[in-house]
Amino acid sequence: MNNGMWALYAREVKRFQKIWIDTIFNPIVSVGLYLAVFGVVTGGRDVATVPYLAFVYIGLLSMNLINASISNPAFALIISKNLGTIIDLQLAPIAPWRVGLAYALAALTRGIVTLGVAVLCTIWFIPLAGIAHPFLLIITILITGLEFGMLGVAFGMWAKGFEALTFLTTFILQPMIFLAGVFYPISALPHPWNIVSQFNPLHHNVNLIRYAATGFADGNPYTSIIVVGVLLFCVAIIMQVVVQKKLRSE
Amino acid sequence: MNPLSLRNVTKTYKTQGKPLITAVNDVSFTIEPGSIHGLLGPNGAGKSTLISMISGMQAPTSGSITLFDVDMVRNPEQAKGFLGVVPQEVVVEMAFTVQEVLYYFSGMYGVPKAQRQGRIDHALEDLQLSDKKDEKAKTLSGGMKRRLMIAKAMIHQPKFLILDEPTAGVDVALRQRIWDIVRRLHAEGTTILFTTHYLEEAEQLCDTITLMNHGAVIKEGKLKDIQKEFSQNSIHFELYDQNVPHPEGVHRTGSEFEFPMRSLAEDMEMLTKHYNSNLKAIRSEAASLESIFLTLTA
Repeated sequence: MNNGMWALYAREVKRFQKIWIDTIFNPIVSVGLYLAVFGVVTGGRDVATVPYLAFVYIGLLSMNLINASISNPAFALIISKNLGTIIDLQLAPIAPWRVGLAYALAALTRGIVTLGVAVLCTIWFIPLAGIAHPFLLIITILITGLEFGMLGVAFGMWAKGFEALTFLTTFILQPMIFLAGVFYPISALPHPWNIVSQFNPLHHNVNLIRYAATGFADGNPYTSIIVVGVLLFCVAIIMQVVVQKKLRSE
Repeated sequence: MNPLSLRNVTKTYKTQGKPLITAVNDVSFTIEPGSIHGLLGPNGAGKSTLISMISGMQAPTSGSITLFDVDMVRNPEQAKGFLGVVPQEVVVEMAFTVQEVLYYFSGMYGVPKAQRQGRIDHALEDLQLSDKKDEKAKTLSGGMKRRLMIAKAMIHQPKFLILDEPTAGVDVALRQRIWDIVRRLHAEGTTILFTTHYLEEAEQLCDTITLMNHGAVIKEGKLKDIQKEFSQNSIHFELYDQNVPHPEGVHRTGSEFEFPMRSLAEDMEMLTKHYNSNLKAIRSEAASLESIFLTLTA
């Protein structure tokens, strides 16, 4: 247990609490709007045994979790670099991997808080019979939040400014999320795009969360478990290397 | 166990298409426990690079840096725990109040939650920021932000404090306040490494100094010894009637005349013999750090 790391975690949680309208309620408004549109347009349709609204609902929650987790540390670190307060991290007697983990855990916390509030606000309108695999759902949410939190840390440390962050979210992350099977099952895509989509790493996070919540898997859930596990490991290594390099220049 | 020991520290930078830059070249010196050590040198001398290596923000290309016998390269987390650093640039958190800045920063240095509030109150009182504790740090004036930076560096009660030009751009009252704090911390046993462009400040505060130029140490030791070694003390005097012949070696500086001191007794005898009742005032002057600095860095 490292007190310094937990103080840094508490500071980063406090930071997003201070701008809670932006960090927590903005994403919930977008989930509500998506649901309203899809509810009207696709009312009564099903994907396999799952009502489409429930299918897309889980996809949207996954998208929210991923977005919140990646943007929280990325924004905080880019702002910190612009202001010069990154020096606090360079001087603190906290190992670089702990610095990264503190930011990633704060990102996970924001992701879970956003997810929790979104569910509380919208679950009443969704035709969900219950949670198919509750334990797997908790684990998958934790892993997904941590994975994208660590990716956000690595990106925030690496990026020189907000242009890079805009590039990441607009040209890489959003297309990957939209093509990850958030709004449709990838099995419904024509060949070869259904195969190509399976190489989208985000698809496996969304697929696993949806499988745990509804019991419906858009692809083999065991493959998704392996992919998500490997990704978590790889992202942890990348984060450690980038944070070490940026906090202590050679 | 010395607070700081540098052995053959070198830092080089590779820049694309340009020759290798040596910012710090084979620097070695030690700081004794409980001393105030001045790190002086002109702009570009390598002081900031050296400070960032001592603080653990950059790794040296070669050589070793130890703080209280803990190697900064091999065990940076433990070594950084001894340190408090006031960086040259004033930077503050945008989102947090003064109190919150200190609360989380002290936590990052391992100060237990139960002790934090007491230390924050003490530091804020010490730096006359108590009435600003609930204000956002970004709204403070420049001088107050500087004081907050000092409070951050002191909050975990470090054994070794680094102040990188702490009085740059501050008013006279705050400069005096910072000097008082430095003297008090010194009296309490904190070892202090101090960089400044104000040489009279170094002269007032420092026990020992290191003079750097072009990345290398050009002189290091006790300030008094360096003053003794590097400069000739001089005799200054004023006359009622200035239009008189002068002995060899005497030259005019403004309204005064001066000549290098040989022996006080001999010099006084020469003055009274030559000028007698024409002498209005006499004083001797020790070598200033500024004159030594200019001699060595010229």
